[in-house]
Amino acid sequence: MSASPGDLRDQVVAMLPRLRRFARTLARDPHDADDLVQIAIERGLAHAGQLRAGSSVAAWLFGILRNAWIDEHRSRRHREVLGLPEGADETVGDPTTGSPDELLCVQEALGRLPDEQRLAVSLVLIEGLSYKEAAAVMNVPIGTLTSRLARGRETLQTLLSEGPGGRS
Amino acid sequence: MTFSDEVLMAYVDGELDAATRAALEAAMAQDAALAQRIAAERALRARLRAAFEPVLDEPVPAHLMHLARTAPEQRDTSTVVPLRRGEVRRHPWREGLALAASLVAGVLLGHWVLRGGGLGPVVTRDGQMVARGPLAEALTGQLAARQPAGAAVRIGISFRSSSGQYCRTFSVRAPELSGLACRAGGQWQVQVLTRAEAAAAAPGHYREAASSMPPAVVAAVSAEIAGSPLDARAEAAARRRGWER
Repeated sequence: MSASPGDLRDQVVAMLPRLRRFARTLARDPHDADDLVQIAIERGLAHAGQLRAGSSVAAWLFGILRNAWIDEHRSRRHREVLGLPEGADETVGDPTTGSPDELLCVQEALGRLPDEQRLAVSLVLIEGLSYKEAAAVMNVPIGTLTSRLARGRETLQTLLSEGPGGRS
Repeated sequence: MTFSDEVLMAYVDGELDAATRAALEAAMAQDAALAQRIAAERALRARLRAAFEPVLDEPVPAHLMHLARTAPEQRDTSTVVPLRRGEVRRHPWREGLALAASLVAGVLLGHWVLRGGGLGPVVTRDGQMVARGPLAEALTGQLAARQPAGAAVRIGISFRSSSGQYCRTFSVRAPELSGLACRAGGQWQVQVLTRAEAAAAAPGHYREAASSMPPAVVAAVSAEIAGSPLDARAEAAARRRGWER
């Protein structure tokens, strides 16, 4: 992007609320999610030179956050027992959010999807990225993105049709 | 005509071409089962979005805001910057200080805007602050990606608001002010105007930090923004349309 350094920094600042939301679709614990945002900010600014001219700062930052999550997620897998992170009972959302139960329910359903399906669902359905942008973030062809999206949706329809009280 | 699940999903995601979309919509009117499948996809999308929507309204933690403003920015791809998570310094008090400064500035600003009597970059019309003169010209004509060196007005980011208006952040010099203006009724309505943060928030060697937005402007952007900031191409396209929806 031909923008001057200050413009990039402003865009990063403006993206913070959305980066935090994206991170929360990946990490259930709000503090873990903010740690991902922190890494994305540091890496994004430290590698500002890699941002290609004319490309979307939003998609670029999502891509960095996604990579950070994949790194973290894989390294902490061994501490998890099938989708239940340690201290899961402490993560009952932030008290400032509207409906922590609904958020928790949706987060839990998302957490059951394979990583790549979860990313596709999060980027397209929650963040509202176009197929082209989401495929670029995930570094896959559009066809791969849409098939992951389709499978993710199908699973979520089943999981969430059990209703907000459906988690056991 | 039958439609695959992928076509239905692409419809809900706004990714269908006009011809297929028209065919699908015609079929939906006739076929209750098809309409039902689409409604289910729409409901899923709406539910996921609604569940995470409150996160956008949470205040951004001060340490993240501070980091975004001050973390070293490296444009040269050949230099490797060490990334260690423990290195991040947290100075939440600085946010507080900056906020206090902007509140004090707010009181002074009132005087300044009114005293200008039409000479300053902002006038009040029907109780609404409106950009004028060089500020209005810059908001209409200046692209963030190509700002003249030493320009009196600097444009920050541009975006669409949730009500569909184009909004842009700006900063002006003498006095140092930052703000957010949105295009409505053929003029730039100033949503927030505050004293630009001087070097107080950042040590001298972070030279970009002064161009970052004060907390009051960030808060206004977070409250208004729908989607992402416009990239250089979208910004140029919006300018061509005269910032009209």
